[in-house]
Amino acid sequence: MLGRFKRLWDAKPMKTHYDAVIIGGGLHGLATAYFLARNHGLTDVAVIEKRYIGFGAAGRNTAIVRANQRTQENLPLYKEALDLWPVLTRELDFNLMFYNCGNLNLAHSEAALKAMRLQVASAQFQGIDSRLLDAKECRELVPALDISDRPRYPIFGGMFHPPGGIVRHDAVVWGLARGAAKRGVHIHQGTSATGIGVEGGKAAWVDTDRGRIRTPRVLNAAGAYSAGLANRFLGQRLPISVLTIQAMVTQPLKPLLHHVVSSGAYHCYANQTLKGEIATGAHMDPWPNYTTQTTAHYIKHQAEAVTEFLPCLKGLKFMRTWGGLADMTPDMAPIMDGHSPAEGYYLDCGWGYFGFKSSTVTGKYMAQYMATGECPEILKPFALKRFEEHRLMGETAALVDYTANN
Amino acid sequence: MAFTITCPVCGPRDGYEFRFGGEDKGPRPEAADLTPAAWCDYVHMADSRPGVQKEWWVHRQGCGAWFTIHRDTVANQEVSLNLLEAAE
Ligand SMILES: Cc1cc2nc3c(=O)[nH]c(=O)nc-3n(C[C@H](O)[C@H](O)[C@H](O)COP(=O)(O)OP(=O)(O)OC[C@H]3O[C@@H](n4cnc5c(N)ncnc54)[C@H](O)[C@@H]3O)c2cc1C
Repeated sequence: MLGRFKRLWDAKPMKTHYDAVIIGGGLHGLATAYFLARNHGLTDVAVIEKRYIGFGAAGRNTAIVRANQRTQENLPLYKEALDLWPVLTRELDFNLMFYNCGNLNLAHSEAALKAMRLQVASAQFQGIDSRLLDAKECRELVPALDISDRPRYPIFGGMFHPPGGIVRHDAVVWGLARGAAKRGVHIHQGTSATGIGVEGGKAAWVDTDRGRIRTPRVLNAAGAYSAGLANRFLGQRLPISVLTIQAMVTQPLKPLLHHVVSSGAYHCYANQTLKGEIATGAHMDPWPNYTTQTTAHYIKHQAEAVTEFLPCLKGLKFMRTWGGLADMTPDMAPIMDGHSPAEGYYLDCGWGYFGFKSSTVTGKYMAQYMATGECPEILKPFALKRFEEHRLMGETAALVDYTANN
Repeated sequence: MAFTITCPVCGPRDGYEFRFGGEDKGPRPEAADLTPAAWCDYVHMADSRPGVQKEWWVHRQGCGAWFTIHRDTVANQEVSLNLLEAAE
């Protein structure tokens, strides 16, 4: 049986020069490589991946996609990304398993409902389907919800976003890698970037543990590792805290949850996978660290939280838990920038725990940025300069900081 | 992941009793001649170093003391300064 399957792409020898080098074989790096080749005819591109593609957050996330963000800068980007899944499934000829089951986000207070009202209006203004539901309507949608007064934080209502859902993250990694490789992109796994060279203010090469590659364009797309690399390679400091985020799945059940259900108050989201498991996650240990270890602390938290609003899950066993890294910015919005501190050096990071859903469209625009040298309009608000200019984005109601104030 | 932090007052305690207080960035810059870039650097920017860094913690669910430690962010373990100095 196995003999019938062909490799998705072939490893190519590493050259000493490329038109563009991308550090990081995650979703953002692979999507950028794919769109450089597809939209701009830039096929002399290398993706440098330290471990194997999808090793990072690309292969660890809980695969939730949605476009009901808060701000006018972020909404169009996420909308375009959401609309892209069916298109890419066809184009890549790869089943990305887009399951647009819709997302229900619970409100546990009048204040939370009020905030949702604004968020719903902002999304609708951009033509994104998002609606406010009262508690009874939430229960009609998800009969397993406990809308009584029993939970510590009773359910007041919710925000329902029908076009969102779940996409198979590994499929996106593999589909993009195959699509890029088909167009000539070289993917070098097991290759670590160890430095970036600058000559006369311009990016000139990338050092790797397999030798030096000369190139006029470098993209730092190393996910949660990008801040550390930027600092070590170029002395660039970024407003990023790298945190471990954990997720877990229960034993499989018959179908009972047909939507992604999330709750900010409980720091918890849950959905039933196509295999029947309840996948749940959301919390982070609030101090920077580069481990991907899991803790009993959060397994307990997750069990307590999810069974508060879905009490029928009580007594289930968790089968697997895992951790990944999230590079958090103070305003919960990413950093996409270029030409600083060196011309031809590009940066795409700060995607925290929300960078799966937007990875494809980000790749499209980062590719445009790298091919033309000009920042596309849609990416301009995400420049690093915003922190110095006090133009932080409102993707979170209050500044997030992983210090003792929070 | 057993994570222990040594409070200068209470001794080694479970990490969850503490709250992270940021990378040690030295003293707060003087207000006179402060540029937006320098202020931004102090308020928002970090090294995000994979490795040993000096950082602030507060024993929030304990005695309330603020103090600095050295921690290896890759192993997520406090490292003793004496050992560090011996290695240098
Ligand atoms: C548990 C968890 C749940 C999440 N849930 C969601 C979700 O439901 N929805 C959502 O939208 N987002 C979610 N996210 C966030 C999302 O997964 C990330 O924002 C996104 O994957 C980051 O982009 P990336 O895929 O390019 O990064 P990564 O996949 O992390 O890619 C970075 C790559 O760079 C490589 N690398 C590092 N250093 C070097 C080097 N020196 N040289 C070469 N390569 C290097 C790494 O090995 C890695 O493969 C979640 C994240 C986690 C951890």
